[in-house]
Amino acid sequence: MWCFKPERIYPEAAFHLPYNWGKMATSLTRTFGSLRIVARRGLKNAELALNIQHPGPLFLPVRTKKRHFIPPAVGMKGKKEENPEAKARAAGIVFRQQYLERPINIACSAGVFDPYIPPEGDARLSTLSKEGLRQRTEQIRQSAASQLAIRKVKEYDSQFSTKTFAEQAQEIFIEAHNALTQFNKEKLHSLVTERCYPEMTRGNRYKTIRWRFVESLEPPRVVHARCPDMVTKGNLYGQVTVRMHSKQTLAIYDRFGRLMLGSEEQPKDVLEYLVIERHLVNPYSRWRLHGKIVPSWAPPKDPVIKVTVYFGPLIIFLFRLLDG
Amino acid sequence: MFLSAVLGPLATLNPNKLQVLGGASQQLSCLHTSISLDDKHWEKNNRKVYPPQLPEEPRRPAEVYHSRRQIKYSKDKMWYLAKMIKGMSIDEAIAQLEFNDKKGAKVMREVLLEAQEMAVKNHNVEYKSNLYVAESFSGKGQYLKRIRYHGRGMFGIMDKVYCHYFVKLVEGVPPKPEERTGFDQAKEYVQGLKNRTIIHSL
Repeated sequence: MWCFKPERIYPEAAFHLPYNWGKMATSLTRTFGSLRIVARRGLKNAELALNIQHPGPLFLPVRTKKRHFIPPAVGMKGKKEENPEAKARAAGIVFRQQYLERPINIACSAGVFDPYIPPEGDARLSTLSKEGLRQRTEQIRQSAASQLAIRKVKEYDSQFSTKTFAEQAQEIFIEAHNALTQFNKEKLHSLVTERCYPEMTRGNRYKTIRWRFVESLEPPRVVHARCPDMVTKGNLYGQVTVRMHSKQTLAIYDRFGRLMLGSEEQPKDVLEYLVIERHLVNPYSRWRLHGKIVPSWAPPKDPVIKVTVYFGPLIIFLFRLLDG
Repeated sequence: MFLSAVLGPLATLNPNKLQVLGGASQQLSCLHTSISLDDKHWEKNNRKVYPPQLPEEPRRPAEVYHSRRQIKYSKDKMWYLAKMIKGMSIDEAIAQLEFNDKKGAKVMREVLLEAQEMAVKNHNVEYKSNLYVAESFSGKGQYLKRIRYHGRGMFGIMDKVYCHYFVKLVEGVPPKPEERTGFDQAKEYVQGLKNRTIIHSL
């Protein structure tokens, strides 16, 4: 099994200084003949007479015994490790302090507070019928808490108005999804909160997404607003819910370019309730997409293009159907 | 260091690619950029993303790369098993390894099962049995060295062997190896003889 010749163990021999410089000539000839320095011998008597002793060459190549590789594990038998930590510190290796903490993100809140409960049958009824009219009249003017929240938001942001905000929200939504298709991380972070980002991007790293906003069927409307405060009393976050009814196309391709979900040509009507959030106390904060509200009466989603369904990390965030 | 000295401020060095601005590209395209020892190249193949296919194109089969490093087994002994399962469908390969007596068979079976699960979960493979082993091979791992004592003060250096095992699973039916009979081979030989000609002849 061990096919090379075993070698004898010898102590290491190194170069050494000639210990007797007076007998330099003889020692030199004895160790190697080729490096005889003739001139030296001639000068030798004169040097001795004048008490000058020139030091010889510092390193004389002496024929050594062949050194063999001894693996470092030789002396390891039965040795208890004294203190690897002390050794490392002595060697100068500095370990960074380990922080056993969980980072908290304060730029966004953890969820949707007091979520908006969309009325049953929203956008299924035409606005001309009695039911539809009743729904229409249930606007945000009814909800006092929303009014209060909007007033609080207007304290911090004087240019806030529900009419313009809805358009702004739609723009944010479209830009965020375009950034998602290109997977532009920085832009996506500026348009979407930290809580929403993993929801949007989980499992998508090696997938290609093609999304297109075709048109908006109804103008977007602000339906709900809340201003929760986190941790301390004054730390306000504004969460506004916007209702959007639009046409979109979505196609998701997996790692190999095969279609997984949706289709690129067929647009679908989508009714969505987006939650847009802003950290009001921070003057540099922006309105960002925080999440979506999925009503319980939502129609089922399109099936995945697969016979067997595995409940893995597919994107479920984007695609919502209405009326098929 | 050497490269930056040679190329000067024109080159930007990426870990694996060398981008050179300016006209020096022809001379330097033949430079060898070495891969660092820590990179696990086989697993990086799993990160390759293909562009979406057009509807006319044939469906691209899914490929899953998996490996296990530093298995306490000899690479030469592992090779026999790897050669055995090459080209088999995954169910067949798992079954064969289950009833094989070698130590490496157990490890290999675990690797295959892991790869199958990964394929279904992460790589959008629809049927877990619809996979076959396209590539499977073993490689040398990092050995530990120990002393083996002989008589008369002699010693030998003993290697504690480790190996890596790599496998690539592809979706689909395993390709049938073409069977060449002796007659076919003889026919080809005769055809080769017939094709001989003298060039630049009259």
